[in-house]
Formats: sequence, C-alpha cells, structure tokens
Amino acid sequence: MEVTDAAVVAQVLAGDRDAFRVLVQRHSRSIFRVIYRMTGNQQDTEELVQETFLRAYKSLERFELRANFSTWLYRIAVNRTLDFLNARKTHMQTKDTYQIVDQPDAKEGNQVQLPTAEPGPERLLLSDEMKRKIAGALGLLTPAERVAFTMRHMEGRSIEEISQTLNLKASAAKNSVFRAVQKLRQQLEPFAGPGSPARSVRWGGSAVK
Amino acid sequence: MNHLTEEQIVLHYYGDAVMPSDEIERHLSVCADCRSEFSRVQAMLKQIEPLDVPEPLQSFEEKTWLRLRDQLPEKGGFFRGLFRPQQKWAFAGVMALLLTAAFMAGRFWSRPVQQVAQQPPAQVNPQRVVLVAVGDHLERSQMLLVEIMNSDSKGPINLSSEQAEARELLDDNHLYRVSAQQNDDPQVARLLDQLGRVLAEIANGPAEVSPGELQQVRHTIQSEGLLFKVRVIGSEVNSKVRRPEPISGSVNQRL
Repeated sequence: MEVTDAAVVAQVLAGDRDAFRVLVQRHSRSIFRVIYRMTGNQQDTEELVQETFLRAYKSLERFELRANFSTWLYRIAVNRTLDFLNARKTHMQTKDTYQIVDQPDAKEGNQVQLPTAEPGPERLLLSDEMKRKIAGALGLLTPAERVAFTMRHMEGRSIEEISQTLNLKASAAKNSVFRAVQKLRQQLEPFAGPGSPARSVRWGGSAVK
Repeated sequence: MNHLTEEQIVLHYYGDAVMPSDEIERHLSVCADCRSEFSRVQAMLKQIEPLDVPEPLQSFEEKTWLRLRDQLPEKGGFFRGLFRPQQKWAFAGVMALLLTAAFMAGRFWSRPVQQVAQQPPAQVNPQRVVLVAVGDHLERSQMLLVEIMNSDSKGPINLSSEQAEARELLDDNHLYRVSAQQNDDPQVARLLDQLGRVLAEIANGPAEVSPGELQQVRHTIQSEGLLFKVRVIGSEVNSKVRRPEPISGSVNQRL
C-alpha cells in the first residue's frame, strides 16, 4: 500500500528530511504543468517548482495533516508564481522595456505587456496570426488576472478554489476572471470574425435597457 | 427590457453568474442581442486553448530533489519541541525512556550469528515473506504513531482517518503477533502485543477527541517508548529483508 502524503509529511516533521523526496517525486511534475501554464517559460518554471517545494518544506508545520497535500502545494505554487509575475512586472516597468503590442488598450497603458526578452505563455502561441493576437492579449493582463484566468479557463478550477488559493473573496475572484475576459475581448474581437467589433462598446459593464 | 450585462454573460459562460442560470437561459432564448453577445463571448473564449505544456525530462523529479536537498534545513520534529524553554523538564524523562528503549531493543536482537550461518540455503523461505510483511506493518504503524504525535492539538481533534488505519493495522497485528510467537520470537511478539494495545486504544476510541484525550494517547505511546521500539525493530527487519540470500528452515530465526 502506498504511504499517504500526510504520513510522509509526518515523517518529515519527525526529523526525516529525506522523506520529503517522496513528495517531490510525486508532485513535481503536476506542479511543473501548473506553473508553466502561467509563466510559459521552462527555465522559470523549473526554478519556481524548486522554490515551491522549498517554501512548502519550510511551512510544513502549518500543513494540516488531514488536508489534501496536493491542494496545499498547488496553492503555494500559484502564489509563488503570482509573486514572480508581479516581481517581473515591476522589474519590467522599472527597466521600461515594454514591447508595443498591436492593439494596446489606452486605459491599460501602464499594464504589463509582452517584454521582449521574457516570453510568457503568449510567446508559445505563435503558430498563426490569431494565436499571435491571443498571445499579445494575454500579455496585457495583470498577473492576478492572468493567474485567475488560467485557473478558471485553462485548468477548470472553480471560483471557490481560485478565491481560496489567491486568498480573495469569491466576488473578487469572479471579477478578476471577468476583467481578464473583458480585456481579451477588447483585443481579440476585432479579429474574431464577421460582425465582431463594437459590441463590447455597448457592453461596457452595466446593464443596458 | 433589460439586457444582461457583459459580466453576467461572461460569468454565465463559466457557470459562475450570480443570477440563476435558468433565468439567464430564459433571457437568452428571447433576447437576440444578448444571445448574439453570448455567442461572441463563447466563440472568442473557445479560441483560447490551454497551452501545450512541454513534458519535463524523465529525470526532472530527481533533478529537482537533488537541487533542493541541500537547501532544506533540518527539522527537529518531536525532539525539537523538547528544547523549548517550557518543555525542558520533559527532556530528561524522554532521554531516560530512550535509553531504556535502546537497552531493550539491544536485547531483542542479541542473537548468535552462527545459528544463522549454519542454516542451509533454500529456494523459498516463507518466513522471509512474513518478514517483509512485518516490516511493512511496522512502517505503517510508525507512520500512524508519528501522525498522532504530530497532529494539531488545538480544539476537538478528528481522528477518524487514523482510526480507520488503526483498525486495519490491528487485524494484521494480531496475525503477525501469533506468527512471531510460533516462530519463537517472544521479543517481536511482545512489541506487537504492546503495539496492538495502542492500536486498539486508537481504533476503539471516539472519532473526535479532546486535546486532553489526545494527550493521553500520546502519553501511552511515549511512556512505553513504543515509537522508538517500532523504529528500531522496523529498521532491523528491513535490513534483514535487504540481505541477499534468505535463510529457511530455521527454528531459531526470528521475524
């Protein structure tokens, strides 16, 4: 019978540091996937996986043994990635190395955009013109919007999970997802097909009579 | 007629709208504008597919562990707690218990080497199978005891999962104890007897215990040096299992 994660955690807490290896073996690949979807960069992802496990190890005393270890680890991974994206955004703003995107939103002129040297997930979607547009639009999202959107849209996580993971109220989590989609629409609908543009102008956010 | 807001439409796509879904559907069925808007959102979002994630190297887990290992600080676990100022008093007692347990464990395994050496090799040794099972049993028991020793002791504590594990272990424990007795290994039989009593206490106690009751269980584990004995004997059993050539036909061979 496979030893449970909680039992391994208990073993580590009892002083068996090497037992932590079991948890790394079990979970590093799935954590890699989660982080990669948010960063889109393999090297960054590998470093963040390592930092996630290091952070988990250091806070292992706070893990409730009856909780699900993979959920707990997932939260650490997402938050670490969010910190990383925020730091990268600040760094890029400081260095002023933004790349001008095709359809920058005037209201979001200060938001993080695709930095030339640091490709995000967007850079990997370069197979055709639409994918380039999607990539550019994803690059306009704030880190919180990017993470919330990735969790909801790409991973199918519930609003409850997003709010718990990011320590937000459910309404704030919904709002992050909505703002992400709104921005994506503004960027992508002009290229989405016949009769696409202009509707988002009418749907500015409030009910219309 | 009120149209749906963009937010309602977007959130409805994900099933997250505050307004009940059937109300939104009803509205969409009669409002061409909103239906068209919903289709547009749907079409746009369907184009955004999850990223293809490259599969990391086969050695990724190992590499991660090797890079991580040297950065991990030691965790003192149970013993670290003993050095807290308010718990220094416990240290002397625990050390005495450990010394006693170590002494007893040493006695358990003091057996003549030549008895093993004289035994003829065999192709199949049923005792070895039992040995593997006992090793596994002791490892699982150790995990359970460690879980209990480290569980959060604030407020009412739910031990239902530990109880289920203890019940499972208890059944096996009985079989292994009988087997140890039949194989003339009173020390292992005694350990399993002792372990069985603690497992029974956990298995038959209330699912939810107070911090005081949990403390009692912990006290039983600690006062009998059980965790330590299980570790020592479990380690010995595992090292026997790892030995290359099994020995069979021994009356004296212990589990």
